Amino acid sequence: MIQIRQVSLWYRDGRKVVDNVSAEIRRGQTVVICGPSGSGKSSLLRCINGLERFQEGEILVDGISVSSPSTDLHALRAEIGMVFQHFELYPHMTVLDNITLAPRKVRKKTRQEAETKAMELLNRVGIPDKAAVYPGELSGGQQQRVAIARSLAMEPKAMLFDEPTSALDPEMIKEVLDVMVDLARSGMTMVVVSHEMGFAREVADEVIFMDAGRFIEKKATASFFASAENPRTREFLSRILT
Amino acid sequence: MDWNVIARNLGFMAGGLVLTFQLAALAIGGGLLLGILLGLCRVSSVSWIYYPSTAYVHFFRSQPLILVIFWFYFLVPILVGRPLGAFPSTVVAFICFEAAYFAEIVRGGLQSVSRGQTMAAYACGLRYSQVQLHVVIPQALRNMVPALTTQAVVIFQDTSLAYVIGLREFLRRVNLVDTREVRSVELYCFAGLVYLVLCSMGSILARRLEQRRGAAPA
Ligand SMILES: Nc1ncnc2c1ncn2[C@@H]1O[C@H](COP(=O)(O)OP(=O)(O)O)[C@@H](O)[C@H]1O
Ligand SMILES: [Mg+2]
Repeated sequence: MIQIRQVSLWYRDGRKVVDNVSAEIRRGQTVVICGPSGSGKSSLLRCINGLERFQEGEILVDGISVSSPSTDLHALRAEIGMVFQHFELYPHMTVLDNITLAPRKVRKKTRQEAETKAMELLNRVGIPDKAAVYPGELSGGQQQRVAIARSLAMEPKAMLFDEPTSALDPEMIKEVLDVMVDLARSGMTMVVVSHEMGFAREVADEVIFMDAGRFIEKKATASFFASAENPRTREFLSRILT
Repeated sequence: MDWNVIARNLGFMAGGLVLTFQLAALAIGGGLLLGILLGLCRVSSVSWIYYPSTAYVHFFRSQPLILVIFWFYFLVPILVGRPLGAFPSTVVAFICFEAAYFAEIVRGGLQSVSRGQTMAAYACGLRYSQVQLHVVIPQALRNMVPALTTQAVVIFQDTSLAYVIGLREFLRRVNLVDTREVRSVELYCFAGLVYLVLCSMGSILARRLEQRRGAAPA
């Protein structure tokens, strides 16, 4: 589904923010990427849906090269949902309008079709009563669930999550993770940047530890936790698994 | 003192006020539209879009409005090949001039919308024009309301400069009445009062707008 082949990315200063990384995420798989702040996790996620241009390597999504000049990036992005650390709901629109904007403008759905689907999704993420509310009136956990619903409204083939619970108060983390667990179990292809190792243990097929732009450790979930080899991985794990 | 001079000429002067309002409305509407386009160009990373728009803004901001009004009055007929009349040429001058100021307000507003918002919009598959139209511009406009209303009030006052090419807007008509009646104190007091009342109403309206914006969830 998503093939990442020897991808490198650097910004103006020339320091490699993503340094020759490769991975393959198969349809229906969930891969969790963890690693210290500044290690290039967000940059890599942005490469996958073409929000960031990388200089070397290749990324294929469903067989289509992200960096090929002939690729319609808008069409490709419509197939990949993305969820952000700070939710990024549109503050000037109601929850319902947030969810229906892209389906109406990109998928050319009628308002009614889009709203029916949106209500279904709000039900699924457990806040059907918040459709007419503005994002600013919701708790963080509710906002992130709306953001997930907004992505799902496009019926994506894959979903990218960039630290979806890092900005949340502890008591709200679970409500968001529950939605994500459901999603993973329903067969969604997911790349999740997160330090929620409980979530990784529960649903991830593979876990990657990233540091200074590289994949330091990349293993099937069980062996990642049982036998991480790299000392930096072990140190990182011991720090976040306190 | 003969305050009756105002009553005697009220109809004539009010006619000028209509022209003032028309000019201000066209200048604000057209200037804002052109200003939004220019503002979008000013935040572009494409150099052939960025540099010409920057040059435009810089040029008009370095010219006195009165000169621009003259300029269009004499230049536009040459370009078009026939005289345009004072009103159309003034409207064009105001739109071109004010667009430069609106552009800077718009640029600030656009930059006040975070990168995360545009990324989220692009990530859904929206195109540039859709991202701007549905996500960036509505938020930018909200943030710009105070600066925009200030500029609108300034434009309203600046319309009086159109007298230099003989446009019979409000102040010009007051001036004409004065030439005939020689009642400068009464007439200019009256003119000042009219501007004070109208601009105060504008400010109150602006504050209403802002409060509504403040009440809506940010
Ligand atoms: N748009 C950008 N321009 C320049 N440098 C950037 C940009 N985005 C991220 N960086 C830098 O790249 C490095 C990796 O950032 P990021 O991908 O956000 O890491 P992470 O998500 O793992 O914290 C950091 O040093 C950051 O400062
Ligand atoms: Mg990050």
